[in-house]
Amino acid sequence: MMKHLLLAIGLMAMACPAFSQELYVNTEPASNMATNSLGIRLESQGFFNPGYKNRTTFELMYGASKNLMVHSSLYISDYYENQQHFEGGSVYAKYRFLSVDSVQKHFRGAFFAKLSSINNPIVNQEITLEGDNSGLQSGVVFTQLLHKLALSGSASYLHAWDNAGNNHIPVGNARDAIAYTLSTGYLLLPAQYKSYDQTNLNLYAEFLGKTNPGYGQSYLDVAPAVQLIFNSLVRLDFSYRVPLYSTMQRNTAHMYLIRLEYNLFNL
Amino acid sequence: MKTFKISILLFILSTGFAHAQFSKAELQVSGLTCALCSKATEKSLKTLPFISDIKTDLLHNIFILTFKNGEAINFDLISKKVQDAGFFVNSLKTTFNFDGVKLSSNTFSYGADTFRLMNAVDKPLTGEVAITIVDKGFAPKSVSKKYLNQTTDVAPANGGRIYHAVI
Repeated sequence: MMKHLLLAIGLMAMACPAFSQELYVNTEPASNMATNSLGIRLESQGFFNPGYKNRTTFELMYGASKNLMVHSSLYISDYYENQQHFEGGSVYAKYRFLSVDSVQKHFRGAFFAKLSSINNPIVNQEITLEGDNSGLQSGVVFTQLLHKLALSGSASYLHAWDNAGNNHIPVGNARDAIAYTLSTGYLLLPAQYKSYDQTNLNLYAEFLGKTNPGYGQSYLDVAPAVQLIFNSLVRLDFSYRVPLYSTMQRNTAHMYLIRLEYNLFNL
Repeated sequence: MKTFKISILLFILSTGFAHAQFSKAELQVSGLTCALCSKATEKSLKTLPFISDIKTDLLHNIFILTFKNGEAINFDLISKKVQDAGFFVNSLKTTFNFDGVKLSSNTFSYGADTFRLMNAVDKPLTGEVAITIVDKGFAPKSVSKKYLNQTTDVAPANGGRIYHAVI
């Protein structure tokens, strides 16, 4: 496993032609958005087995200061019912506490926390604050540009509460989880970066893991992702998660993601 | 003839005054890694009223700023805008027209601000000369330290600030 991972990272480092990218699709980098800029995201995630189910997420992201950014999200899905319904929302904040920058190179660290309130019944073992569980997540993320490789890693702790609408966590289910991620990305096109109008094509490989300590439930997914950026304003993301191993009952194995993001600067 | 001499003198003085200004700057930003980041930085800089045009060299993370004629340039604001966008100034090299400007013990005034040249200037400066600001917020920490350790000057009483620069 570890061998494959290191090999994949090594190959990406060698293949990387121009710039590394850290606009990760499945995770957040330690960097923040510019002060007073707003990102608007519309996202569809889902799975095909057993039967097609999908979730729509509407997310706003705002750069509150040079060190602080906040997100708020609303979730709608048919994961736990036969028709689409509003599931609840979440808020997220990230504070950058470390910046060591030089030209085209940097190392950054940030704390983050997420709070969610969700009204779904709890049927899975995985705790996720993206529409499935009410809870609190807090952690730390570091992002490093190493030569031409953009590497980002995070570790966080999740605690779930009973969901809204009298939906209790089943007896025998974990209430606490540890999540960890490792993401890498690079700019494939344009080869010569000259203008904001050039469409960017970015490739990512992300590793997403979770474990419920004491319950013998854990997983590690690899999530390759493709990203297009138009006019340095509009971002289009595609990703698909595949388990490398999984002993946890969950929705997120084999999950697709399509996201459209629009950015407004200097509000 | 006297009037002629006075008008010549006035002309020299006025052109000297008009020339004694910053015309442009080459700003290199550190930490930039993506199109959205550069765009956000440029948009942030564009809100400054004294900048008339910004050209970018995305390959080297360099912004060429053209300043408006006759506007007072606030370099601290340039650094602040870059930091607001989430990045840092790696270098700021700005062009100053020294015609009609008297250098006294390596310093010259610009509005309420004072600029101190940190390296020895052995001949009088004339015309357009590029100076690089080495204060904190305009250069890597190690560079700022190297130059600012040489100096113990205090802020002037008029509220302006002292910029330190090298040629």
